[in-house]
Formats: sequence, structure tokens, C-alpha cells
Amino acid sequence: MDIFLQQLANGLTIGSMFALVALGYTMVYGVMRLINFAHGDMVAASAFVGLTIYTQVMGQAASLLAVIVIFLLTAVAMACVGIILERIAYRPLREAPRLSAVVSALGASLVIQNGIMLIWGPQMRIFPELVPQISWDLGGVVISLIQVIILVLSLVLMVALYLFVEKTRIGAAIRASSIDQDAARLMGINVNSIIALIFIIGSSLGAVGGLFIGLYYRGITFNMGWQYGLYAFVAAIIGGIGNIPGAMLGGMLLGLFNAFIAGYVSSTWSDAFTFILLIIILIVRPTGILGERVAEKV
Amino acid sequence: MVRNELILTDVTKRFGGLTAVDALSFKVEAGQIYGIIGPNGAGKTTVFNCITGIYKSEEGSVNWRGEEIRGLTPYQIVDRGIVRTFQTIRLFSQMSVAENIMSGRHIKSEQKLWHGIIHTPGSKRDELANWHRVEEQLDFFNLGRFAATPVGSLPYGIQRRVEMARAMAVDPTLLILDEPAAGLNDKETLELLETIFKIRDKGVTVLLIEHDMDMVMEVTDYLTVINFGKKIAEGPPEEIQKNPAVIEAYLGSEDDDDE
Amino acid sequence: MKELQRFGYPIFFVVMAILPHLLNSRWQAVAITFLIFAVVALSQDIVLGKSGMFNMGQALFFGIGAYTTAILNSQFGWPILATIPLAILIPAVFGVLLAGPIVHLRGDYLLVTTIGFNIVFVQVVQNNLGGVTGGPNGIFGLDSLSFFGTDLISQVSVYYFAFAVLMLTLWIMRNLEGSKPGRALHYLREDQLAAESIGINTRIYKIFAFALGAGIAGLAGTVFVVQYSAVSPEAFNFIQSVLFFSIVIVGGSSVPGVLIGVFVMFVLPEIFREFATWRFFIFGFAMIAAMILRPRGIIPATFGKIPKFLIKESNHGA
Repeated sequence: MDIFLQQLANGLTIGSMFALVALGYTMVYGVMRLINFAHGDMVAASAFVGLTIYTQVMGQAASLLAVIVIFLLTAVAMACVGIILERIAYRPLREAPRLSAVVSALGASLVIQNGIMLIWGPQMRIFPELVPQISWDLGGVVISLIQVIILVLSLVLMVALYLFVEKTRIGAAIRASSIDQDAARLMGINVNSIIALIFIIGSSLGAVGGLFIGLYYRGITFNMGWQYGLYAFVAAIIGGIGNIPGAMLGGMLLGLFNAFIAGYVSSTWSDAFTFILLIIILIVRPTGILGERVAEKV
Repeated sequence: MVRNELILTDVTKRFGGLTAVDALSFKVEAGQIYGIIGPNGAGKTTVFNCITGIYKSEEGSVNWRGEEIRGLTPYQIVDRGIVRTFQTIRLFSQMSVAENIMSGRHIKSEQKLWHGIIHTPGSKRDELANWHRVEEQLDFFNLGRFAATPVGSLPYGIQRRVEMARAMAVDPTLLILDEPAAGLNDKETLELLETIFKIRDKGVTVLLIEHDMDMVMEVTDYLTVINFGKKIAEGPPEEIQKNPAVIEAYLGSEDDDDE
Repeated sequence: MKELQRFGYPIFFVVMAILPHLLNSRWQAVAITFLIFAVVALSQDIVLGKSGMFNMGQALFFGIGAYTTAILNSQFGWPILATIPLAILIPAVFGVLLAGPIVHLRGDYLLVTTIGFNIVFVQVVQNNLGGVTGGPNGIFGLDSLSFFGTDLISQVSVYYFAFAVLMLTLWIMRNLEGSKPGRALHYLREDQLAAESIGINTRIYKIFAFALGAGIAGLAGTVFVVQYSAVSPEAFNFIQSVLFFSIVIVGGSSVPGVLIGVFVMFVLPEIFREFATWRFFIFGFAMIAAMILRPRGIIPATFGKIPKFLIKESNHGA
């Protein structure tokens, strides 16, 4: 029972990080029908950017204010990178065959990943301890302050995003663009701005996710984007890619699943189990749990 | 000797709460040119999709030559001699006209999967024989000079012909045409009429949906009129023209002919 | 393009045939690597380019072939050449078994499941399942090529072995183009519903494409073992699959395009070794630039392979 509750807590923590990153994949996919392979590397890059802001800009201060500034600056920086990425690598390919855009995304992924390596080096870096190492022992289950922060902040961000997309005019424009770009354009929606906005939101949420990964795991490497990015991407697919609540649900499910595999089986098999889960879900529900079924018009 | 008859009995297809086809029955006899007409959204294409296996109707029976074909897949239905065209032309647009027509020979070709790896004298003979059959269709539809042209670059009217040629390459017993005159100009429509008669003269039964009433009256032997998925009349064209229910359905609904 | 077809291939074959005699042993090794990866990329092309299925796990089948040869050689003492039939057959069977349940998935979903298979495979061999895969270090110290007792250890003989495999692959691909199954793959790539409606059982042909691609990649795996006398998990990981995927798309899924892609991805880095750390950074930009400048690939595949007797005079005007 202790293992169960402990892994539940761990799983929710990991799951909320997956969910934050998965939102970036799913929002871009929703509007552009494109797997943004570079998103995982953007997440990795944000951990490094956060590290540099901490050492260079904040002078290694770890006050609450400093942490907030680091999060904000990183999110802004990554949002800019996201906009640049979209302008350079994706916008010229909107009318091109779909696989061309996929390859461009893979190229962008290589550029960012190896850019990190060229700037910060190939070896593992240690992310600063921005949050004091406080933890509570609740009858055999240990929960740390970091876990609580990650979980609460992720939920707040996700609820905020959900409300934004469902309740505001801009949110309605996002939803319209993801249903039919051409129709949205005809209705006077500036689809280019919507796509830029999607990249801003997705990249900043990814930046928060990347900083959480740094805070939680501490060791960060230039190529970790493929690892975490792939998991988050799987989470988005499990939930039904293009579907915002789906990404949240998929992230949480995948986090819990991973934690229980690590707790009860072995962490050396977690990749294999994750993908077997994914494949089974797709065989049973070919468009994910909350994904809509698309019937072809004949 | 089985008769080449297509008999639909009480076929019903629903999409969620919408009943697109409602207990529809009709019978197409061998050698007929049979028309299905009805206003926009009457469920005509859905009927075709139910016959050709793209949809499976929830209820009723689709009987072809004494066999129940409801629930078979599209390719199994092609194997039984029923081939269709699409209202929105669906060709293999990057490929040449000849290759498009060759796809109709797929089911008649005797090549096995492993002939994709190694050719044998038999597979080469089969390949050549089928290309010669493609040549026949190119001639029949007067498409010879476009044989090597990618079909996507051709005008609409010619694409319609390629799609019919592709279907005819299967040597079908029943040819189903979904609005074959849509998008054609008057001259092309006239040619289409001639072609349909020539196809019938080859012994192929033709079932078609059409919007263009004049054309339907000209070409068909027998008609079924549907509205809101239900049959409202059937009979030879001259009777249908006088049928008050049909006139009501057509006048009562906005009918844009140019669609 | 016509000239390329007429003269390009003979020149390519002649150059490739005499190439090992012009190169020192380091460059011979590079040339062999080129041949091996060219075969894998072409096998990927059958699934991705010709059939339009978003397969991003081709390194899986390459790996299964290589591990088949390596395990049969290290555990059971089979000579390398004797492992070839199984190194083709086992990946092909896996191709059927794995593709069977997933080929109906739409584009991107298929892509992610194939990534998944690749990752599961790598984790399985890393964890040394069954105790035969050697774990993270792989299997090394494998036999060299021998033919009826004669050892063919020289690089040149390995080169010609690899070259023969490439020739075989090109021959199969040519046969595929002029056959009913090959055309069926093109049809289903262009419009699956139209293909079904003209009588093609698309599912069978999709699985066929996976199996054929897997078998060829498996054979390339044997050549890989011959060249390196070793196998290890990271040689077949998902990143390799990404490279093969990109090569096919950037190349334009034509044979010359794919060969150019393999050359750029695997041979150029050997020439510019001093830029090794910049390799993928530059490739990333190159991939983006290539797609923007030529969205259909460097040398897009052409269609229209129809018999001469069908081509009437006035058809090139269109």
C-alpha cells in the first residue's frame, strides 16, 4: 500500500510535467496537423536557459522572487524561440506535402538539440536547487515540496489554459482554426496570429515543463528532449492528439503508469511498457482516448 | 443461371440520429440503365456507399446475383463485378492516365504478391496482356493521347472519362456512376450519354445517380426517386415526369442544377 | 532526367564496381557503410515512399536482421552466410506480425507506433532478454565472411558482398515497379478509398510492403555484422530510424535521391571529420532548407512507367 501511494504521488508529479509538455504538441497539432518534433528539444533548452539565467542574471540567488523571475524570463525566451521556429521551419511548408513539414520539424529538433550541445557542452549539467529540500513523511509516503509545487502549478496552468481556450474569444478562434483553417480565415480570423499564439503558449508551457524537469531530476543533458519529448508526445497521442483535455489526461495517465511500472516492475523496462501501452490503446481506440473519430467524406 | 440482378430490400442507414436512407427498396435488372434521382441531400450517394461496401447499412438486404453482399468490403464487392465512380473524382492524381486505368485490371491480373519481387514468364505475359486491355479502354474512351500524362494535370471532363475508363477496365457486370455529368459542359454531357449507351450495349448494367433531370430522362430506362432517404416514386422516366410527388419534391426544395 | 536514367545507372554501377581498388582501407570502410545504409534507406523507401505509410522505425528491422545473424553465429556457430535466409525471414515475419494490427492507423498514429516498436526492440536487446543479445554492449567478436571454408576477410570482399546486396535491392525494386503488387502500393498511397473501390485489398498490400521492406533491411543487417563483426543496441535505435526516414523524404523517395541522401548523411561527415560536433546541427539546417526549397525532395520520384506501345505521338504537350 505504501508503494502504491508513494508511486501515486510520484506518478502525479511526473504526469503533470508530461501533461504540460504534451499541451505544446497537441495545440500545434490541433491547428497545423504537424508533429512538432522540436518541442521536446525546446523543453530541454528551457532547462539550460533557466540554468544560465540563474547563474548569469540572478547571480545564483534562490529567493522566491528569483525563482519567479527565472520562470518568467525562461518562458518569454522560449516563446520567442517558438515564434522564430514557426516562421523559419514551418510557415514556408504549410502548403507542402505533410511529410516535408515532418522532416523540417526533425531538422529543427536536430538544430536545437545540437545547438544546446554546442553552447552548454555534451556533458550532464546540474540544475540549481531553487526550491528548498523540504519533504513530509505522511505515514510512510514521502512527499516533497517540489512535488507539491509541480503538481499545483501545473494544475493551475492547465485549468487556466482550458478556461482561456473554452471561454474567451481568442480561445474560440483557436478552436475554430483547429477545426477548419480555411473557414476560420474566411470568418476573419487571422490564422497566422493564431498559429503564432499557439507557439507562444505551447513553448512557454514547455518552458515551465523543462524547468520542472530540471528541478525534479536535477541532472540535465542536451539530448534529454527526445526522451521527455517522446513521452509527452505519447501522452498527447494517448489522450487524442489535438485535444487539450486529452493531453492533460494522457499526461497524467502516462505519469502514473510509468511510476507504477517503476514501482512494481523495473524502471529499465519503462520505455518498452510505455510504448506497448500506447500501441494497445491505439489498436483499441485508433485516435486516442478523447480523440474524435474522423469519418471520411465520400 | 443466376440473373444479374441487384435487389435492395428495406435498406436503412443512419448517422447518429439522422436516417440518411430509410427502408429503401428497389431492383435493378440486367441490361438496364437505372437512375436514382432526388434533391440535394436526399441520400443518393449514401445508397451507393451502402451498395459498394463503403458503409454498411444497419438494416435490410443488398442482394446481388442471389448473394447477400451487405457487409462485404469494397474490394470484395468489386470482385463480384460491381464497380463505381465517385461524385468528387477520386483518381490517383500523380499517376498517368494509363496507370490509373491499369488499376482497374488489378483484380483481373493473376500476379501473386511474390511477383512483386521476382518476375516469371507467366507474370510478364499477364502484365503485357493487362496493358493491352488498358489500351482497349484508352481507345474506347478516346484517351490514347493522354496515356502518359499525369491525370491530375488534365481538365475535369477528361478526368471524368478516365474514372469511367478505370471502372470499365474491371470488366464489371454492374457499373455505378455517381453524378457522372457533374461539372461537364453540354458537349461533354452529350458524349457521356453516348458512352453510357455504348457501355450498356456491351452488356453492362448501369446504375446512376444524377442531378441533371434532362439527362436522366434521356438516358435511363427506369427510375427511382428518393427524398429524405425514402422512395417517393418509381417508374419509367415518362411516368416519373408526370408524378405529382416528384414535382412537389423538386419544386418544394431549392434545386441548384449547377452543382 | 531521361539522361540521368539512361547514363546515370551504368556510370554508377561501373564506378561502384571499381571503387574499392581506388580507395585505401579507411575509405573502403566508408564505402561499405554507404552501401549498407543505402540498402536500409531503400527498404524504408518501399514502405514510406512507395506506399506512403509513415514508418519511423525501419532501424528495428535492420536490427532484427543484424541480431539474427549475430546470435546464430555467436550462440549456434552458424557461418555468417548461412544465417542470411533467417536474417531475411525473421524480420519479414516481424514485419507481418507488427504491421498487421497497426496498418489501418492513420498517418501520424502509424508513425508513433512504429517509433514505439523501435524503442521496445532497443530496450529488449539492452535488457538482454533471453540472455542472447549481450545487453547494452551488444555482441562482438563475430566471425568474418567465409565461403565454403575460404575466409573472405579482406575489406574488398566485404565491399563486393555489400555491393551485391545493393544490386539485389535495386533489382527487386525495379521488379516491384513493373508488377501488380508494386502498382497497388502506389494506388493505396495516392488514395486508399479509391484503391479499395477498384478492388484492391489494401491491408494485404500494406503488410506486404512492411514485410518486403523488413526483409531487405534484415539482409542489410547481415552485411552490417560482416562489416563490424559486432552489433550493439544503439546502432539500431530510434535516432537511426529518424535518419532513414529523413533521407527518403529529403531525397524525394526516388532511387537517386535516396542514394544522394545516404551519401550526404553518412559519407560527407567522414570527409569533414573536423566538423564532427557540428554534424547534426548542420544537418538539421540542411533538412529544413531542403524541404523549404524542394518540398517534394531533391529528386522527386516520377511516375508514368507505362509500356512504350501505349505512348502515342502527341502526348508530351500536356
